[in-house]
Amino acid sequence: MSDRALIGQRLKEFQAAEVKRILGACTQCGKCYEVCPMAQYSKAPSQDAKTTVAGALAVLRGEQGTPEALGWIGVCTRSGVCVPACPENVDPKMMMRLARMTALGGRAQPKQIEAKEDRDYFDRIRAFAKLQLTDDELKDWT
Amino acid sequence: MSEAVTFWYGCNVLRHGDIIHSCLDILRAIGFEPSPVGGPDYCCGTVKDVNQTSAGGMATRTVGKLNDRGARVVAWCPSCHSHMHDFMEKGNERQFDITYLVDLLHANRAKLAPLLVHEVPMRVMLHRHVGFNDLVPVNRMVPELLEMVPGVKVVDGGYTAPGYMCASFAALPNALEDIHANTLRAAKACGAEAVVTTFHQCYREIVGLDAARAIDVYNYIHLIARSMGLPYEDDYKAWKRAGEGATQMIGAERIAKVGVEFYERAVLPELRKRPNLR
Repeated sequence: MSDRALIGQRLKEFQAAEVKRILGACTQCGKCYEVCPMAQYSKAPSQDAKTTVAGALAVLRGEQGTPEALGWIGVCTRSGVCVPACPENVDPKMMMRLARMTALGGRAQPKQIEAKEDRDYFDRIRAFAKLQLTDDELKDWT
Repeated sequence: MSEAVTFWYGCNVLRHGDIIHSCLDILRAIGFEPSPVGGPDYCCGTVKDVNQTSAGGMATRTVGKLNDRGARVVAWCPSCHSHMHDFMEKGNERQFDITYLVDLLHANRAKLAPLLVHEVPMRVMLHRHVGFNDLVPVNRMVPELLEMVPGVKVVDGGYTAPGYMCASFAALPNALEDIHANTLRAAKACGAEAVVTTFHQCYREIVGLDAARAIDVYNYIHLIARSMGLPYEDDYKAWKRAGEGATQMIGAERIAKVGVEFYERAVLPELRKRPNLR
């Protein structure tokens, strides 16, 4: 295996194991979607919680997600109210996080949703640090 | 004897040097010897959902660097803290204990209380989110810390925002507008004079209400620091209030450090930004 392929390999193995566990445990009851406070902000709001969850699971399997599932994945901000709502202890917050990584193309699958790119993200942090910290603090703390 | 700890402050809190300095003084005052680390070189990788190879590499690098320090880690950033538990430690051997700062301060209330000597007369509402609270019960602990400050009265506006912190709503402007509007409405309804945030990622967004002169906004560390008599000025709030005038406040010498073009393109727009209050 190349050096690049080894980067983050254990993390990827953990994620793959979690995907397998979630796909095996979720009964698609839809409770996680029903309680989600962010579903209202989806670009494709759904009236059918069960099929929306099924769409999110399809994304985890590497398949094309439905517009409703991708809309839901796109607005997940880790509220976590889905976790206690799940009768099967699936951890839907983890399910949605992994679905988001997958849909963004982050797990070597085709990209299905767009991320808002901020090319200045880290440079902006460095800039604010330079405006607020001394040269010694920048050297020793960052 | 003081316990040496690594104060892992994260990335974006570098906008708020006063918060970092205050946290260090507070930690020292309650018996710890903190070594601060953070910034992009200590990034947890949570911002790299789009590239898990990159995220995994960042996690391995940062866990390794924290391992090498050989001390308990005290985390400031909720994103870093939760990402450590959810992902980083699953792909790497974490060899240090990790505690969230709110948890540490709450556990050391007996040491903190006698240091809170200056009155801070203020009715405040905590800006809450539903997320993260399952990992660390900040929505209970932060009000309990604030109530220790002489003069502070915490009032409950009955509003809890979705998500786990405001910054993750940057790509969801309608939802962020709702959070701004609902936070202000709840604060006014319960007679709060100020909104207090737990996380810097919320402070950065909610302080826009202050800049718009809608209501005063603080981070909880600001009030603890003020009560302890710590001297640090909140430059970010001053610049945010000034908007365009921040350029004059910061001054040409400091702006030259980051580059005029970059400052005008990437820094000033953030300071000028105001919430859309419907």
